[in-house]
Amino acid sequence: MSSNPEQRPNLYALTWRLPIIFWQLIFFVGPVLFMVAMSFFLVKNYRMTEAFEFVNWSRMLTRGFFWDSYWYTIGIATLSTVCAMCIAFPAAFALAFRASESTRRWAIFLLIIPFFTSYLVRTFSWFVILSESGVVNAMLGYVGLGPYTMLNTNFGTLVGYMTLTLPLVVILQTVTMANIDKNLIEAARNLGCSPLRTIWQVIIPLSKTGLIIAAIFCFILSFGDFVAPFYLGGSQEPTLPILILDTTKSGQQWPRAAVVAIMMMVTLFAIAFTGIALAYRKGKGAK
Amino acid sequence: MTKPLVVFDKVQKHFGNFVAVKELDFEIREGEFLAIMGPSGCGKTTTLRMLAGLEAPSIGEIRLNGQVMNDVAPHERDTPLVWQSLALFPFLTARENVEFGLKMRGVDKAERKERAFKWLDKMGILEFENRHISTLSGGQKQRVALARSLVMEPQILLLDEPLSALDAHLVIRMQAVLTDLQRELGITFVYVTHSQSEAFAMADRVIIMGKGEIGQIGTPKEIYRAPANQFVAEFVGRNNILAGKVKSVDGGTARITTPSGEFTVPTNEVNLVEDHNASFVISADLVHIATEEPDGGNKAYCKLISEEFVGSMVTLFLEDAQGHEFKVQMQERELSKFDLHSGDEIWLSWDTQSAHVLNES
Amino acid sequence: MKQSRSLNFILGIYVVLIFAFVFAPIIFSMIFSFNSQRFPTIPLGEFSTEWYAKVLADPDIWKAARNSLIVSCSTAVIATFLGFCTAYSDFRYNFRFKGPYLALILLPPTIPLIIMALAMLAWLAMLAWLSKIGMSGQLYSIIIAHSVLTAPFAMAVIRLRLNQMDPDLESAAWNLGGSEWQTMRHVIIPFCKPAIFSSLFLTAAVSFDEFAVSWFVSGLNSTLPVVVLEIVQGNIDPQVNAIGTFVFLTSMTLVVLAQLFFASRQIKGIQS
Repeated sequence: MSSNPEQRPNLYALTWRLPIIFWQLIFFVGPVLFMVAMSFFLVKNYRMTEAFEFVNWSRMLTRGFFWDSYWYTIGIATLSTVCAMCIAFPAAFALAFRASESTRRWAIFLLIIPFFTSYLVRTFSWFVILSESGVVNAMLGYVGLGPYTMLNTNFGTLVGYMTLTLPLVVILQTVTMANIDKNLIEAARNLGCSPLRTIWQVIIPLSKTGLIIAAIFCFILSFGDFVAPFYLGGSQEPTLPILILDTTKSGQQWPRAAVVAIMMMVTLFAIAFTGIALAYRKGKGAK
Repeated sequence: MTKPLVVFDKVQKHFGNFVAVKELDFEIREGEFLAIMGPSGCGKTTTLRMLAGLEAPSIGEIRLNGQVMNDVAPHERDTPLVWQSLALFPFLTARENVEFGLKMRGVDKAERKERAFKWLDKMGILEFENRHISTLSGGQKQRVALARSLVMEPQILLLDEPLSALDAHLVIRMQAVLTDLQRELGITFVYVTHSQSEAFAMADRVIIMGKGEIGQIGTPKEIYRAPANQFVAEFVGRNNILAGKVKSVDGGTARITTPSGEFTVPTNEVNLVEDHNASFVISADLVHIATEEPDGGNKAYCKLISEEFVGSMVTLFLEDAQGHEFKVQMQERELSKFDLHSGDEIWLSWDTQSAHVLNES
Repeated sequence: MKQSRSLNFILGIYVVLIFAFVFAPIIFSMIFSFNSQRFPTIPLGEFSTEWYAKVLADPDIWKAARNSLIVSCSTAVIATFLGFCTAYSDFRYNFRFKGPYLALILLPPTIPLIIMALAMLAWLAMLAWLSKIGMSGQLYSIIIAHSVLTAPFAMAVIRLRLNQMDPDLESAAWNLGGSEWQTMRHVIIPFCKPAIFSSLFLTAAVSFDEFAVSWFVSGLNSTLPVVVLEIVQGNIDPQVNAIGTFVFLTSMTLVVLAQLFFASRQIKGIQS
């Protein structure tokens, strides 16, 4: 721009630069760091006291139930990501390559609407729809099928995750694919690439970055959500977020909840980091 | 008659390790139309921005009316700039754009309106005063940009390639508008461009810049006929450059040996030393062609390679036996007397006084 | 490029199915809100507005709605301000540690809400204990948390708008005599106005529906989503559908109004 980086910032520059620093340090960095510290605190007689003990860590990490929950959460979140990415792909493909510009824009606008509705109310809606005597089973009953148990199963949890993540994943995939250079696709077709091969060898590599980012977001959302597994998954294995919920709300064991939270953050960070490294790596895709 | 309005005194500009401007020492005279011309990246826009205060010199001083301007903020200067992208405010009408500078300076509403009116009228766009910028054509926007700067009634107006976005026919018209305007108002214009034809058509004086340095300062004619060095000679105009060694010096002339032959040139106060390298320039329009070998020393036998027509002028590209390229520029009606075809061979010649020795720098 | 028509047809159906899945819960919720059955199923019961009546008669719900409104409006203003400051600083200046600076505002959405909720709860409780000011359980604790969560969106929206600005526009204003502050007031802010409005609306909408952090942090002063959460925890209660429909219609009306507002300005040729 028009400013010399060597100059010291004047009052004008600082007025704009500083607010976010102060605000985030106090209200974002502070809470997160405090939570890390809190994992070493002790709870005696329902009161939390400052300390530096590892007991919360050893308690949590040696318990079977924690690791059961941990791997279950990773598993179901991965499953959710795979499902969302696969389910979204044909729709995103259609919107990116077959739909007109205005159809695409309308579709994206429609997909933004769910963000303005209550996720809770939607989950509650699914609860009613999927229950034993709900809409789906009633309709299946007319053709002599069912009734199927869909709630309190992994299926229920996945339906909830899809409700949460599908709009975002479709939007991200559509925008990514709509922005790749159409000339490259035409060139591939011109050189004799069949449509399926074109998708696999041209479109997906070109959209790699956007697709990986969509997958990362999807994973983070699924991994951290407690509503879907709690209300639609029911009696299944608790996920880590539910563990935090239970430990905080009922047990008042904030330090233990903090341990779970930190484990979650570390895991997410590792996965996001790997994902981004993969997304931006200049691989053999350089045709 | 002319006293310096602006002085650049040993000005350099560095961006980190990159030296955008190596050393500038020049003056801008009051009331003149000065063009700063050069290829992309030569530092001409940086120079203009330093004058406007948008960049600060790393070394040296810029003085306006004798006052050192280095630490004066851009909004405290009176150096309005007409931008290459025009930089009109898209959320304002034409009139509001024109009034902007006056508003910033605290001029009251009535006076703003009156002055804007005067300049919108003068630029012939009064009918568009309440229209939003996005609805105007390229030429109309150009006029709004000019009015916006001129309404400030400054001493000096800066222009950064303002015509580069216009269609060709508009460019010619706007050139005339600008030259007339400058003459009428008597304001100093500093005009940056990469187009030689623009610079030479409009300016009183031209500064040729290359790689952050000044190649030459002079009137268009001086630069064209007497380029100061190799860079300027190659950059400007259609001319022939021959390089070789000095064979002998005899008062006002010297003989130079080149691969294409031995030629006589006027020394023109350049210090030529025997056995040293020297180059000289002959403008393409000062070279004559003939079918018979001409008398006189400065001649070359060449083969016609190609022709280029621009209206009534034609440029011939020829090659001598040594492969050196020659250019000849002449009127098409003169050329047609010769019935020349590609591959034909013909004699070139020029007067000794037409040649100009370059100062090796 | 030859496109097989039957394939396009299948793809079209597929897209419609996806949209059906996404909108099914929303539409059903609205239908059920007018359904007399306590536990809706097919065949539907009678048309009834009793749930709406119940909702409108409940003072706790009105209070929660009022709280939600206060929180989302305050959040919108703070988040948009923070987002604007950061977007402008990113746009105009290059400085050391710019990377970490941007990370500071952009990181919150990457952390699951439940973790942020826990962290905020503990931190605000600690601050309250230290300063003897009751921070947790007050609305401003939710406002603070929400502004941290939504500021990134504000920043992104405004930054994208600044990308559309002619890079010389600010310099042109200075050149014509505008100081940095004047230029901000007369050029940057007017130019960013559409993005500022979008940001206000977007952050308000996100805040209005946010329940996880609100639930943890709000204590007795619930916002509307927290009330919903508490109802839902108890048992099946169709009042939730009525609340959901209200909120949805309000949000959509605002979106439509915002779009119309900007569309009309475009028709008048005002927009850049």
